[in-house]
Amino acid sequence: MIGDFIDGPLWYFSAAVFVIGVAWRLFAILRLRGRKKVLSKPRNTTGGGALATILRRFVPYREFATVSRGRVIAGYVFHLGLFALLFFAAPHMEFIRDRITGFGWTPLPYWGFIVASQLAFFGLLLLIIYRLMNPVTRLLSDAGDYVSSILVFVVMLTGCMALLQASEALRLLHLFLAEVLLIYFPFSALMHTFTFVTSRGFSGAVFYRRGVNY
Amino acid sequence: MAIDMNVFQQFAGQMAQLGSMAQPTDYPDEERVERAKAVFRKSIGAEQAGDLEACVKCGLCAEACHFRVSTGDPKYTPARKMELMKRFYQREMGPFRWLYRLATRDITARDLEDWQELVYDSCTTCGRCGMICPMGINIAGIVTTTRQALAEAGLVPADLRAVQQEQGAYGTVFGAGPDTVRQAVEQMRTRGHDVPLDKEKADYLVLTSVVDMMLFTDQLEATIKIFNRLGLDWTFRTDGFEGANFGLLAGVADVQKQASMKVIETAIAIGAKAVIVPECGHAYPALRWSGAEIYGKPLPFDVYVISEFLDLQLQAGKLKLKSDNSDIKVTFHDPCKHGRYSGILDEPRAVIKALGVDFRELPSHGMMNWCCGGGAGVFVIGSAAPLRQAAFGIKYDEVNKTGADKVLMACGSCRLNFLKGAQDNNWDKEIVSLVALVGDNLE
Repeated sequence: MIGDFIDGPLWYFSAAVFVIGVAWRLFAILRLRGRKKVLSKPRNTTGGGALATILRRFVPYREFATVSRGRVIAGYVFHLGLFALLFFAAPHMEFIRDRITGFGWTPLPYWGFIVASQLAFFGLLLLIIYRLMNPVTRLLSDAGDYVSSILVFVVMLTGCMALLQASEALRLLHLFLAEVLLIYFPFSALMHTFTFVTSRGFSGAVFYRRGVNY
Repeated sequence: MAIDMNVFQQFAGQMAQLGSMAQPTDYPDEERVERAKAVFRKSIGAEQAGDLEACVKCGLCAEACHFRVSTGDPKYTPARKMELMKRFYQREMGPFRWLYRLATRDITARDLEDWQELVYDSCTTCGRCGMICPMGINIAGIVTTTRQALAEAGLVPADLRAVQQEQGAYGTVFGAGPDTVRQAVEQMRTRGHDVPLDKEKADYLVLTSVVDMMLFTDQLEATIKIFNRLGLDWTFRTDGFEGANFGLLAGVADVQKQASMKVIETAIAIGAKAVIVPECGHAYPALRWSGAEIYGKPLPFDVYVISEFLDLQLQAGKLKLKSDNSDIKVTFHDPCKHGRYSGILDEPRAVIKALGVDFRELPSHGMMNWCCGGGAGVFVIGSAAPLRQAAFGIKYDEVNKTGADKVLMACGSCRLNFLKGAQDNNWDKEIVSLVALVGDNLE
């Protein structure tokens, strides 16, 4: 019975909270557009500053390569591994096909799943350890940052366990935790999945009109 | 024309007295908080909301901040400086404010006092942190707004407040008013220069600053020589001469507006085609990027900072320079507000190249240049002296690595800070104005 609840109503509820919450949080940013009139004569009149910065900031500037190397590599390893798991693990592809899109795509082979999960775990663990050990990130971080990291970690862990042991109870536990994550997502720093576009885009546009390739 | 180091000592002495001259700005705690909140409420637009929502607290900005790097103290991490405004946004403007009001505590007067050191003493709004941020967050912009909130709450550091209050009340900076301009012009005339003053109509309104008139007279003289050599229709004006804007630096909007409007109205009255901003970091963006917003419509004239203007004249073939200077080993310090903030990076380099000097870039230069530690009014804040000295150490090491004998400056505040740093460190480097070097090399 609890399985039906997790598979049914809780899934729809968590998906709705996720979609509405993300949309509402992004709308709250965008509704403030135009509060400040920009009247100064631009140095750059062609567009494209926002898009350029959105793309440029995927890679750190050369001058910062050394100081940011560890965190950037750990970040990429985690995010790429997670992305591969989320969209290309066979059970996820089937879930998305059956419940959301109605169509599927070629999933990762089993060995690909293993590699992706190892990368994601390794990257996430490095980031969590860094957050705990470095005086700067320790000072900056609050409970919400740790909750986000731990939630993602346990969702990944139960996902791997569910796949490896083919247990219905583990599948339900994984789905339940994923639903908790979906509900938590819009209220947390996990929103950077979307807000990187607004922060990079706005800053890029503002600086570009001043003649700065931000 | 060499600068008079006795005058520099007098300046430094004057600055040490500033705090005692400030008028108190005391409010009850509750009023302080409400005043600060009103500024946040009015100022936060989509850009800043987007920035506040995007930080993942990766801590990379700590690696780009001269105050954090030089002291090693994590409390100076730029992302931390955003926390006050972020808490306000989450609790009072954000989409889940009902939730954040349950989970976070409200801003207190004590918070505002704690943030005074973070946004005034330990931040020059140089913007270097924004360059390393993977989210592209304009942290300097957040700090600027937080300064405005603290200013409204009466929490501008006393030294900076004294100068801002003077500019607000009398329109002068360090006592420099119309008489100071007349004296400076007279001094230049006795040195044989034709100096137009208070012309009713002119194509170019040339600004100056108290520092140029009283200390960096080499910059002032060079500017006069250059404009005369170019044969331009230009003037200084006693009713609109000061480039420095301590309203902007302190975060006091009405003083910023008053100082900017003085220049804007003067430029319009004389029918100026362009206003030329002297070698002053913040003076350029104050007019170039905030002037029109203050005026309420596009400015009917162009605004150039002197290094940008010199490059335009070089490109047009009107400015001819001697280029037999290969024996002079120089490096160049980009003013943050010209380079990183306003995109003026190639222009001063084109001028330096035209001088034919042996030019050596700093290891970190251009967009990645380290701030000297004295910008955004920090140079006048007495309590920031240890932080300034620590931050200057980065610059000191970088300049030494170039092997240059001279450090070229395009900002008076930077030059003041470099002179102080050179004095403190018994440094053998010569701190030279770019425009002064151009003035010495006119063909």
